[in-house]
Amino acid sequence: MSWLFSLEAVYVLTGILLLCFAALTLNDRNHSHRFGSALFWAVLGVIFALGGVLPYWVTGLLVLLLVGLDGAGQVGKSAPEVNRKQMKPRRNEGHEGRKEELEEGFDVSSSSSSLRGEKPLLSNAEIKFEAEPAPRIGPRIFWPVLAIPLVTVAFAVVFRLLRLDANRGALVGLGFGGLVAMGLALWLTKSRPRDLLDAGRRLNEAMGAVNILPQLLGSLGVIFAAAKVGELIAVGIQQVIPDGNVFLLVLANCLGMALFTIVMGNSFAAFPVIAAGVLVPLIVKPLGVNPALAAIITLTAGSSGTLLTPMAANFNIVPAALLNLKDQYGVIRFQLPYALTIWALHVLLLWLFIKFA
Amino acid sequence: LLKLIGVVIVIVGLVLRLRTTLVVAVAALATGLLAGLPLLSSKGVWQDVPLLTKTGQTGIINLLGKAFADNRLMTLFIITLPAIGLSERFGLQEQAAALIRRVSAATVGRLLFVYQIFRVVQGALGIRLNGHPSFVRPLVFPMAAGAAQQVKQELPEQTVETIKAATAASENYGNFYGQNLSVVQAGVLLVYGVMKSQGYELSLWSLVFYTMPIVAASLLLGGVQFALLDRRLKKELEGQQ
Repeated sequence: MSWLFSLEAVYVLTGILLLCFAALTLNDRNHSHRFGSALFWAVLGVIFALGGVLPYWVTGLLVLLLVGLDGAGQVGKSAPEVNRKQMKPRRNEGHEGRKEELEEGFDVSSSSSSLRGEKPLLSNAEIKFEAEPAPRIGPRIFWPVLAIPLVTVAFAVVFRLLRLDANRGALVGLGFGGLVAMGLALWLTKSRPRDLLDAGRRLNEAMGAVNILPQLLGSLGVIFAAAKVGELIAVGIQQVIPDGNVFLLVLANCLGMALFTIVMGNSFAAFPVIAAGVLVPLIVKPLGVNPALAAIITLTAGSSGTLLTPMAANFNIVPAALLNLKDQYGVIRFQLPYALTIWALHVLLLWLFIKFA
Repeated sequence: LLKLIGVVIVIVGLVLRLRTTLVVAVAALATGLLAGLPLLSSKGVWQDVPLLTKTGQTGIINLLGKAFADNRLMTLFIITLPAIGLSERFGLQEQAAALIRRVSAATVGRLLFVYQIFRVVQGALGIRLNGHPSFVRPLVFPMAAGAAQQVKQELPEQTVETIKAATAASENYGNFYGQNLSVVQAGVLLVYGVMKSQGYELSLWSLVFYTMPIVAASLLLGGVQFALLDRRLKKELEGQQ
């Protein structure tokens, strides 16, 4: 009973779901990389289901297999379903008269964003294509999506009441929220379970191998920590900054995070490095700062960098293309004053908190 | 100093636009090897295998496997995809669009500010989506252009360019800062996982709590920038009449 509501159970569930995705992919004859993709999601499914019991070296080798498959370009997505008709534009945009461009725009975004996303994206190209006009369900279609956060919070509250770890509760709740949402969606739309799984599979493939990126980056952070890379960066910064100058330390932390994000186009990739190299050894540990506050402020200090970098193509460059902006960097230019101001606020907020709390 | 090779590999790899997963894995292996770590722990099958192992040291592949297994929580959102995918087939996007259309906003700036709030709320509900193709291009930009046309029918090209850039920006502002308001979003889970591996077991809810001042600031700044935009557009459009 208690196992049923454990995190491991939710992982097993997710693993089984991934194996179903893999089976559907294997059956999909329109798929660009049928076997490679099926293997990729199946291996990820095995890691999810058995990660708790497999020897770590086996999991490690499986991870390298995942990376190898993606690196060899063997992970792709399915062609849109055959015989899908284009749906009518949702809204009559008469004065614009640019519907054709709109369709092209969808292609641009889905192909490039799935390759290099900062965060997993839901830009599935199929949104605009339907086999036949779906029956009208109206606003009730929000129910499954709203069930996910509701169940998540409910589990967290129940775990807290039972004096268990509320974090764990939220994660377990996320798993069961997904299940409840699946049930609701099936019931509302009167679809077959196969359609449900296939919809999930297509969404998952549209996002692609970047799905495992946060998990992989987290692992990179662990290896950096084992190799003591963090200490090395910390020592370097300590040599530059005079002893105990809190403001300069905060500045170095937020600047490092923003610059690293600008270079990598990705605050999620920058965070593990900055956390191990600056935030924890130079700010949280010696100054006794609230780690949650310092960590989340450091993360969003990186978001200011994301607003400024063409490397974050799916947020800054692809949209410019989607909207037919003459200036490729038009979006970044508009975001510049905003990004600089909010970055400065991050520095100020963190410094004030350390100083007065 | 050689250990920094991992950071260099990541930067060079991403600048060259190589596959991110591959770059990250190569960086991990290279960093570990240059730090003198063995590939595998000397245990079980690999007991005392020369070259691959070193006595008493944990192997890189073991570290990688353990970290990847421990961090499964970061990819847990996959379990929500079937429900979201099926809902999208049955008009989720259209219903969300209808919702935002009901918000009447007379000016470009106000509309974009409302859209920013809308995206923050979506983030707080744990809904992850790339709004550029699904909302900004098909919906928000035409609405913003329509609002500007209420002032002047023929919009100068420069004005249209500004409105386009501002629309994309409102999506990014709402998305980047709003998503940390939910414990199921990848950003909060990443911070949780990384800090845990650094020895700090944080509460997910405290992360959400402490991001609130920044969310407030992001909305305030958005409000200011979009209000300034309205003034500028008004000048541009009325000045020409």
